Amino acid sequence: MTRHRDNSNGPADSGAERWRLLMQAAQRGDKSAYSSLLREILPVLRAIVGRRWGSRQDVDDIVQDILLSLHAVRNSYDPARPFMPWLVTIARRRVADAARRSSSRSMTEALVGEVAETFFAEDTNVPSNGYGDAEALARAMSGLPQGQRQAIELMKLREMSLKEAAAATGTSVGALKVSAHRGMLALRKALAAKS
Amino acid sequence: MDTDELIRRLAADLQPVRPLKPPWVRALLWLGIALPYVAAVVWGKLTMIDASQVAGDVRFLVEQAATLATALTAAIAAFCSVIPGFGRRVLFLPLAPLGVWLASVGQGCVQDWLRLGAEGLRIRPDWDCLPLATVIGIVPTIVLVIMLRKGAPLRPRVTLALAALAVASVANFGMQFAHVGDASIMVLAWHLGAVAVLSMLGGWLGELILGWGHALGVR
Repeated sequence: MTRHRDNSNGPADSGAERWRLLMQAAQRGDKSAYSSLLREILPVLRAIVGRRWGSRQDVDDIVQDILLSLHAVRNSYDPARPFMPWLVTIARRRVADAARRSSSRSMTEALVGEVAETFFAEDTNVPSNGYGDAEALARAMSGLPQGQRQAIELMKLREMSLKEAAAATGTSVGALKVSAHRGMLALRKALAAKS
Repeated sequence: MDTDELIRRLAADLQPVRPLKPPWVRALLWLGIALPYVAAVVWGKLTMIDASQVAGDVRFLVEQAATLATALTAAIAAFCSVIPGFGRRVLFLPLAPLGVWLASVGQGCVQDWLRLGAEGLRIRPDWDCLPLATVIGIVPTIVLVIMLRKGAPLRPRVTLALAALAVASVANFGMQFAHVGDASIMVLAWHLGAVAVLSMLGGWLGELILGWGHALGVR
């Protein structure tokens, strides 16, 4: 019969062993052990989900889904077996389920343009520019350092992926991420000061 | 809801649970219920069998052993499939005894063809067996589904296809005693055909019967 090997070693081993014992206690009804376990495995779950999903809101939703799932099937954990393969299998399965749900949703949803009118009353139909004050935005952009401006232009305006933008600028993905993040913060600050 | 709040609620609602027994123990428990039931259903046929004739029929004995082994290994694989952390290889466990079963029936078909020509391979309608086959499968199916729903529905389609294979095999084990001496082509067409149809049906209904909706209590 095939069994997953616990691939962890060193300090990770002691962590996995601690979680195995906490899960064992949780199966006996120890609420504090269970609470500690769920809090400690959160970063692992976020990492597993984050690899597939970019948006923080989606990641949190799927992590919560995984927590509910492992709570529902906690009797399926055999205390004699390693904890990590049990946890990772449930997490991956729920991530795959979420991906399937998301793709089937996108197949049945239709993207529609902006609806011109909402109600008959005039004050509900004031035309607005979705991007706010374009001039102020252009001024704020020109005030940014070259690296940050380029990162925002490529990723936010031209909608390039991190990889594509990194290839276009010849910088690393990490450096580009930092530039875009700092640029967005500076833009927000500049626009808030103007308004 | 905030994730911290969710963890607080899950911990507050925690009830003790008994870990599931290992898959092979659960498979034996299931077989321990299914076999006596199957024997009780075909009891009338069992008493009419000539024991000395059956004991001397090696092919019949090999076929029955392979059928029973298919039922057991399919049940073990089905129970493994609802335990997170088991590898996928275990899901192929029933293939070996199923192969022996098919080979034995295939050999019987060839022998019948050599002995009787085309007549030995003629498939005749055998709807009379349907009521018996239905009754024989009811209890093993219900018990197996109840037991599988206690696990994690990781691959519902695969789990239910394996469960259907286990039930169909144990039912065939009993049905064979009602058809001692039947032409192999009939066994191949009706018994193994039913196994294939049931397994496909099980796979199709997998999400409905074993999905997360049930495990999470939202269906």
